[in-house]
Amino acid sequence: MSGAANRRLQKELADMRASGLRSFRDIEVDDRNILIWSGSICPDNPPYSKGAFRIEIIFPAEYPFKPPKIAFKTKIYHPNIDEKGQVCLPIISAENWKPATKTDQVIQALVALVNEPEPEHPLRAELAEEYLKDRKKFMKNAEEFTRKHSEKRHD
Amino acid sequence: MADSTRVPSSQGFHQLQITIEHASLRNYSFLKPDPYVQVSIDCNPARKTEHQKNTYLPKWNDTFTVLVTPTSILQFRIFDHSNFRKDSLIGEQTVHLVQILQHYNGRCENLELAMDLLYESKSEGRQIKNGELVAVFNGLKIDMSTIPSQTNGETARSVDISFQNGAMMRSSILNGGIRSRMRLRSNTNSSSNNNNNNGQAQNGIPQVSPNLMAASPNSVNGGLIQSPSTGAVRRSSGMNQWDQPPPSINSHQRLTPAFSNPLMNSPSSQQQQQIIPPPQIPSPANSAGAIPIMPQNPTNGEVMEVENDDDEELPQGWERRTDPFGRRYYVDHNTRSTYWEKPSPLPPGWEIRRDPRGRVYYVDHNTRTTTWQRPNSERLMHFQHWQGQRAHVMTQGNQRFLYPQHAQQSNTTQAPVQDDDDGLGALPDGWEKRVQPDNRVYFVNHKNRTTQWEDPRTQGQEVSLMGAEGPLPSGWEIRYTATGERFFVDHNTRRTTFEDPRPGAPKGGVKGMYGVPRAYERSFRWKLSQFRYLCQSNALPSHIKITLTRQTLFEDSYHQIMRLPAYELRRRLYIIFRGEEGLDYGGVSREWFFLLSHEVLNPMYCLFEYANKSNYSLQINPASYVNPDHLQYFKFIGRFIAMALYHGRFIYSGFTMPFYKRMLNKKLTTKDIESIDPEFYNSLIWVRDNNIDECGLELWFSVDFEVLGQIIHHELKANGDKERVTEENKEEYLTLMTEWRMTRGIEEQTKTFLEGFNEVVPLEWLKYFDERELELMLCGMQEIDVDDWQRNSIYRHYNRNSKQVVWFWQFVRETDNEKRARLLQFVCGTCRVPVGGFAELMGSNGPQRFCIEKVGKDTWLPRSHTCFNRLDLPPYKSYDQLVEKLNYAIEETEGFGQE
Repeated sequence: MSGAANRRLQKELADMRASGLRSFRDIEVDDRNILIWSGSICPDNPPYSKGAFRIEIIFPAEYPFKPPKIAFKTKIYHPNIDEKGQVCLPIISAENWKPATKTDQVIQALVALVNEPEPEHPLRAELAEEYLKDRKKFMKNAEEFTRKHSEKRHD
Repeated sequence: MADSTRVPSSQGFHQLQITIEHASLRNYSFLKPDPYVQVSIDCNPARKTEHQKNTYLPKWNDTFTVLVTPTSILQFRIFDHSNFRKDSLIGEQTVHLVQILQHYNGRCENLELAMDLLYESKSEGRQIKNGELVAVFNGLKIDMSTIPSQTNGETARSVDISFQNGAMMRSSILNGGIRSRMRLRSNTNSSSNNNNNNGQAQNGIPQVSPNLMAASPNSVNGGLIQSPSTGAVRRSSGMNQWDQPPPSINSHQRLTPAFSNPLMNSPSSQQQQQIIPPPQIPSPANSAGAIPIMPQNPTNGEVMEVENDDDEELPQGWERRTDPFGRRYYVDHNTRSTYWEKPSPLPPGWEIRRDPRGRVYYVDHNTRTTTWQRPNSERLMHFQHWQGQRAHVMTQGNQRFLYPQHAQQSNTTQAPVQDDDDGLGALPDGWEKRVQPDNRVYFVNHKNRTTQWEDPRTQGQEVSLMGAEGPLPSGWEIRYTATGERFFVDHNTRRTTFEDPRPGAPKGGVKGMYGVPRAYERSFRWKLSQFRYLCQSNALPSHIKITLTRQTLFEDSYHQIMRLPAYELRRRLYIIFRGEEGLDYGGVSREWFFLLSHEVLNPMYCLFEYANKSNYSLQINPASYVNPDHLQYFKFIGRFIAMALYHGRFIYSGFTMPFYKRMLNKKLTTKDIESIDPEFYNSLIWVRDNNIDECGLELWFSVDFEVLGQIIHHELKANGDKERVTEENKEEYLTLMTEWRMTRGIEEQTKTFLEGFNEVVPLEWLKYFDERELELMLCGMQEIDVDDWQRNSIYRHYNRNSKQVVWFWQFVRETDNEKRARLLQFVCGTCRVPVGGFAELMGSNGPQRFCIEKVGKDTWLPRSHTCFNRLDLPPYKSYDQLVEKLNYAIEETEGFGQE
């Protein structure tokens, strides 16, 4: 395939697989369509440390001139990730995007956000409020939710 | 049924009840017909209805039972009864029963068929649609498994995919000209859409929207749909294309999500570019190639339910599927296309149809218009915005103005051709250089039959020889040297000089390139007079009449403008709106230009699109090829825009600045991208400003983009796929990328537009102007309400009492309207004030008031951010300084100031 984004993505994918990120595993990319990746986020911090979360990364045809989009395919109880799996990640926003930004940086930013929620910029205001006002309850709910909905970790 | 024994079929006969309900016929002569319907089965005339007297909307409700075989061919012909002569055929349609049976799994119960009645017009040599007949089939039930499979491709293919949906499928387009739907038993349940249709038909409004505007120009003649080949029921080649089993999902190079436009199966017209097909439907009809849909991988764990309404209602003929990767997609069996986005049902009053060439289009019964692209919310929003303008179009039109036009007649005489080499290279195609008897050189444009003094190769750059400066002192005369240089003869003293003797004429060095004072020749007014001079000196005698109906303004105009040789469009226009005959002394044609320009930009025609969500300047839509005849329309619009300039009329809304630049054949810069695609622009700038060798960008001299779900690959230069972009060659890369970004997907359209334009007015004539002046010329100026402007402005790091702000408004009030318009253009990117005044000024993120921000030092020039309607005004020390800097920024037109 001669797609313009193809070589860049091939390289990024190879580098990422070689580096063996602990926090992003089981990367799956369809041979015929390198513009869509999926993989499992494995956060270190509770309440998410017991689960794995499938995400999908979708690269536009104009990559790297336009940023990729990320969506969670596994439900997660998190102030910055909404019910549809949408996440607001500054590193891939229109204002901040740089063609040199690598997908592994994007993933690391995402993992950091999962580990350390940013209740100041919530997508789900009710969870942000719970997170700020009643951390214990938030942790309990999130752990419960993770147990129920997340994928098994293979570690 | 005496003839029935002759029917060549071994499958036995079945009873079919046919009710001929009603028809709506085209109003084709001043005598209303006495219509009746004759039904033939397998070429044997079977039944006739009574004739109805004197009507275009006959209702029969005649029911008869006929004997048919599953492969019977039913012919419905509608005649005009006459007592004196042979009954004449009004229209006919043929139904292949097997198609219906296969479509509805052998059942014809309360099945309504709406058939286009076609008529072979001898005079026009083509098929025209003369009306629509509605009949109901009932009481036929055949076990399809007993029917030997139809191996002749055509019928086999017509097994519709919607089969799987069985009874859910209530309405469907069987083939060109026949629409069917299962009527529900209780009539109260029948869809409101269809009630509307019936109601409309009974009210005498043809059910088919009379203006199939987006369709081929051939097919929009007077609202009649023309079949391109013999027999509209036969599947034309276009139909076959749709019917071919699409490539299986295995061959998909790419699956593209987040995509809201229809994915077209037909390859686009971009020939040089490689097209990777969008996801297609694995066709169940093609069982060999069918791909089993893989179950979701169980190890994936729980996959998030994106929507809770899973048994969501999909529009008719749609199906939800899951691809081998567990991704959900939607199949539209009507158009045989796939989407990632969940379809919103067609809005109320919309209907999907197929034209006689098998192409899918969408009918909006609300506005009685049609479009090629499936309406989605954004398109509808744009459409509503567009529609909302309609009411204001003419009020706006009456508010636009430029300067009075000074007419100047010239008398050019024919002269022999003279060949000489002036080192400027060949003249543009169609131009010829000639010389007058007095040795003066002039230029003939044979394409559009114009003449001019100026060399088209250097127009807008060279010394102009036009005497626009007023009369010479007595005894003086202007002459020209053999090289065309002007000199002055003073017969009083018998001397000659190159210096213009007229008072006020420029002397020596202060002369600008046009031989008039530099300051003056920069003025828009002067440039405009040059242009008007060219128009007037090439005016043709007499006039052309253009007769239009308001409801079909677009088609009427299209046909009449394209029918005439282009140069004729420079004759005086005489516009007549049918039914409101009046003399066109200019007012009517002014209205026509304004209305038609608004009409042409109807987003539903898919020809133009708004530059972005809130910038309502227009640019060519790269997806315009969904309209199969888009190039013809671009040519038409090119002619029309040239006419507007030539006749000095205004159009409703303007184009993007890059588009004007393209008309002026100006090089587009990276900066131009910002106004149409800021994200792309930022990335280009990042590449420009950073060392790219160390950051693994993996850029090569090739690029992709996506239009209507197809990825189009493009090499920026020969073997670009093999050449890496480095710090050394990135300049070239950025240049090529800029060029590509500004032309991708619209080059052909632009070319045809310019061709159309150039046929009427030589593009060289525009070269006096820059893109902003072109906008002013085309859209006119408006009286700008300074109070409203000031009232709706905001300030950053200034306040309304800041010295500079006070000076700014003082400047605005003291200057003339042209300057105001240009100031507005400088800051907001357009000189047009929204209909609702300055309170409704839009920026790239929604409403955005005019803003003045304190930025920089007093040595800086003002800058603007057109995306945000923001003026960066440095803290100047005095009013005079502010005026000087502002004037400079406004006057200076090329690539400066807007950062």
